Amino acid sequence: MASNDQASDVAAYAASVRAALSDLPRDQTEVLLEDLEDHLREIAAEAGGPLNERLGPPQQYAEDLRAAYGAAQVNPARQDPALHDLQRGLAWVTGSTWYRQTRAFLPELRPAWWVLRAYLAVLILMAAISAGYNLGPIPNPVTKRGFVEILATGVAIWLSVRIGRRSRKLSQTALVLAYSANMLIALLAVMVLGNMRSFAYSELIGTANPQQTTFANAFAAGQVTNIYPYSQDGKPLTNVLLYDQDGRPIMVDKSEAQTSYPIGADGKAVTNAYPLTQRHLNGDLVVAPRVAFPPWPTPTTSPTATPTATPSPSPH
Amino acid sequence: MNQAEVDTTQLLKGVLDLAVLAVLSEADSYGYDVVRRLRENGLDHVGDASVYGTLRRLYQAGALNSYVVPSDEGPHRKYYGLNNRGRKALDQSAQTWVSLSKALNHLLNGRSNGHGK
Repeated sequence: MASNDQASDVAAYAASVRAALSDLPRDQTEVLLEDLEDHLREIAAEAGGPLNERLGPPQQYAEDLRAAYGAAQVNPARQDPALHDLQRGLAWVTGSTWYRQTRAFLPELRPAWWVLRAYLAVLILMAAISAGYNLGPIPNPVTKRGFVEILATGVAIWLSVRIGRRSRKLSQTALVLAYSANMLIALLAVMVLGNMRSFAYSELIGTANPQQTTFANAFAAGQVTNIYPYSQDGKPLTNVLLYDQDGRPIMVDKSEAQTSYPIGADGKAVTNAYPLTQRHLNGDLVVAPRVAFPPWPTPTTSPTATPTATPSPSPH
Repeated sequence: MNQAEVDTTQLLKGVLDLAVLAVLSEADSYGYDVVRRLRENGLDHVGDASVYGTLRRLYQAGALNSYVVPSDEGPHRKYYGLNNRGRKALDQSAQTWVSLSKALNHLLNGRSNGHGK
């Protein structure tokens, strides 16, 4: 049996015995159990094998101890029955095989925690020095920041393992400090990780929002299938060529009506001369909608722009 | 645990103080060693917890000295030894035991002539 297992076996067994005797007055248990651990360690070292097999269940051991010590039996009437049940339950849990196996196994997880705490510490550091930065659980190695984060995590793990391996030799105060630091890391990590999740969520919303790419979508009212230009004094214009800010011909959404485009001299259709000539499926012309003109302040000049019927395919 | 073993345990409990004192009168010793020496002397049924509890009680009652001896391999050991009070207690208990066992032997001898076990 490895000495590590043995130590945790002794600790678990002693804890169970103490739990079973927890109803005794404190001064009595102190004298009785003063060097229980040392005694059990002696047995474990000389006899070998799990203490449970060697000495029987810790509850029985506790009862034998109580009898041999001649400890005063606690008056059941004096003791709160609920408390007694609780102590019994606690003794049952700490004396059970699975509890002792779990306790014996936990120390083996130590190196895993050393690695994890290093990773978390770097994560907390990154969150602290880069407020608002979109921190992820796994750093992106392509970005400079992510690369630095990975490098820092590597160094932190190396350091953390070094510290962890030396923790057995630490003094009592250093141990308390180390425990506090571990608790702090765990606590801060919960906060950082909690924030991280909300970051990712808002990011998702951002990308889910469809980009307004088409001309027609700019109009909240719905599809735009034709454009009817008027002059300032309200005269309908024909064959008005529309271009966007980049000089591209503006196209409208396809409608159910059939659209016939004027054909240019080069044989290509002119698709941005408005209004478009459209016919319903039954052949009737689509008529212009009724429009309400805005009341102009005082019309001084009335520019009469009447484009020619032969537009050139390219502007300027 | 059958009935016979229970009886043995009960009997042992009454004389465990005496047995422990007797072992310690030979030489100072620590908990597990006391158990081992008792078993070597034929007290097979003696329980570890009983011996440990008895040692603590005798110590608490002021019959034993206690001192710690560092050990090279393993934990340091708490040795127990008789003090004056302990030796006095041993003497008294031993006398009581001798007279008690004499009486019991007498009783048992008369009985064993009739029927064995």
